Amino acid sequence: MNLTSKPLAVIVLVLMFGGISFSSVMGWWQTETTKEPATFTEGEFAGMANPADIRGSYTFGDITNSFGIDSQILAQAFGIVTEDPATFAVKELETIYLDSGFEVGTASVRLFVAYYNGLPFDTTGQEIYLPRSATDILFTRNNLSREQIAYLEMFTVNLSEASAPVVEEPATEVHAETEAYVIKGKTIFGELITWGVSQETIEGIIGAPMPDPAMKIKDYATANGLDFETIKPALQAEVDKVIP
Amino acid sequence: MVTLLNKRIRLFRPHTIWIRRVVQWFFFLLIAAIAINHTLAESGAAIPFLANASLHAVCPFGGVETLYTFALSGLMVQKIHDSALVLAGIVLLLSVLFGPVFCGWVCPLGTVQEWVGKLGKKFFKRRYNHFVPKKLDAFLRYARYGILVWVLYVTAASGTLVFESYDPYFALFNFWSTEVAPSALAILGTTLLLSVFVERPWCKYACPYGAVLGITNLFRVFSIKRAESTCKADGACSIMCPMNIEVDTKTVVRDHQCISCLECTSEAICPVAKTVLFTSGGVK
Repeated sequence: MNLTSKPLAVIVLVLMFGGISFSSVMGWWQTETTKEPATFTEGEFAGMANPADIRGSYTFGDITNSFGIDSQILAQAFGIVTEDPATFAVKELETIYLDSGFEVGTASVRLFVAYYNGLPFDTTGQEIYLPRSATDILFTRNNLSREQIAYLEMFTVNLSEASAPVVEEPATEVHAETEAYVIKGKTIFGELITWGVSQETIEGIIGAPMPDPAMKIKDYATANGLDFETIKPALQAEVDKVIP
Repeated sequence: MVTLLNKRIRLFRPHTIWIRRVVQWFFFLLIAAIAINHTLAESGAAIPFLANASLHAVCPFGGVETLYTFALSGLMVQKIHDSALVLAGIVLLLSVLFGPVFCGWVCPLGTVQEWVGKLGKKFFKRRYNHFVPKKLDAFLRYARYGILVWVLYVTAASGTLVFESYDPYFALFNFWSTEVAPSALAILGTTLLLSVFVERPWCKYACPYGAVLGITNLFRVFSIKRAESTCKADGACSIMCPMNIEVDTKTVVRDHQCISCLECTSEAICPVAKTVLFTSGGVK
């Protein structure tokens, strides 16, 4: 059978667009991520969301939905100061940390999420950096293996205050920078750690072991019969000591 | 059509496959529009009713790059979407049937190289596309397989699109974006510059996707075939071939560099009817 150019042109167009249409009908034609990461297919974590599939287009809110990690925690881990951390896109980290000299980006978020939730994550041959604020939060979880701790110690970066990222807010929502370090009803323990207050200091004030970093201080106080208005000034005083 | 020395010769014939140019223009404009709309969409100003997918979503090579990771874990390499796998499948089917028609008819980077090459044809006439010494050229033609192996390895090892930083196709449709690495822009610039001297230099020497599709030339259903009985042996088919394949010395073109452009056929440059054909059968 001989074929000339015109039938070939028609065949190329029909197969290209016909194939796309068919795949679209079958639900295979996805040109963007669904914001739902793939799940582990085997092992004890089968069916759970796999952090390795976190994409740069995900927001912290998407990660909250899939992995149950509060977006406040993620913002604290990566030093993002913003009013609405849930809308912060993971891919923005690369731009924000561009001048830090270390590649902190989507892979860093994957690693953090995996270690935070105790999920398997292959770091073989990879150099994935985490800011100190992120590893501090992970260490409070007490769920890391020796190897994981060693890895974190190797790839934790101390970023100077000068390079601490601040997400620009809309002009109508300008806040004083110091306001970010004021303990409020929604402040979580993880934020205190990120601001530089030690775990021991916090435990000294609340008189108990440090709870989950994602827990709001106010909720903890209520649940444990403490007066939030009493421990808040004590904690704020410690924050003021470490924040100039 | 006249008969001369027992050979049927067409007096008036087209020298190019014009419909191929139309298809090339169509895909170039389509991809350019999608790329621009993707940029507009990021600032919330997308043109309605026009796709605004990322370039990675509409590039079939992404499907090849992610294959290993996908087979191993069911995950896609960063930035690659399911659509890339679908396109890779469609292009593979096209290639098994007709050879790398994607390269010759669809790929916008190939199209742009051809456009720049027209300048070279004007400047250098017959010297155009014959600057590289044959021995060196023959050796360099296999470099793209080395690049393919490297791309597949680094992608599988890192789970990221390492090639993006060197990809002239990505740079061509994103040169206005900060996402493009300077290395990709440099490679694009070099490719366009070389296109003034050599036809489709990226395709010939460096394209990893061309390397994949080129393999289908060895077993494709429809091939370029030359009928020795009617061939005038004027070499027109070889001169016209953008990939410098010596069509006039072969009865079946199985060269891994053929891009199925049909420019060598009796429909285009070959003056003798039914002598160089694109066919699934045999020729006499």
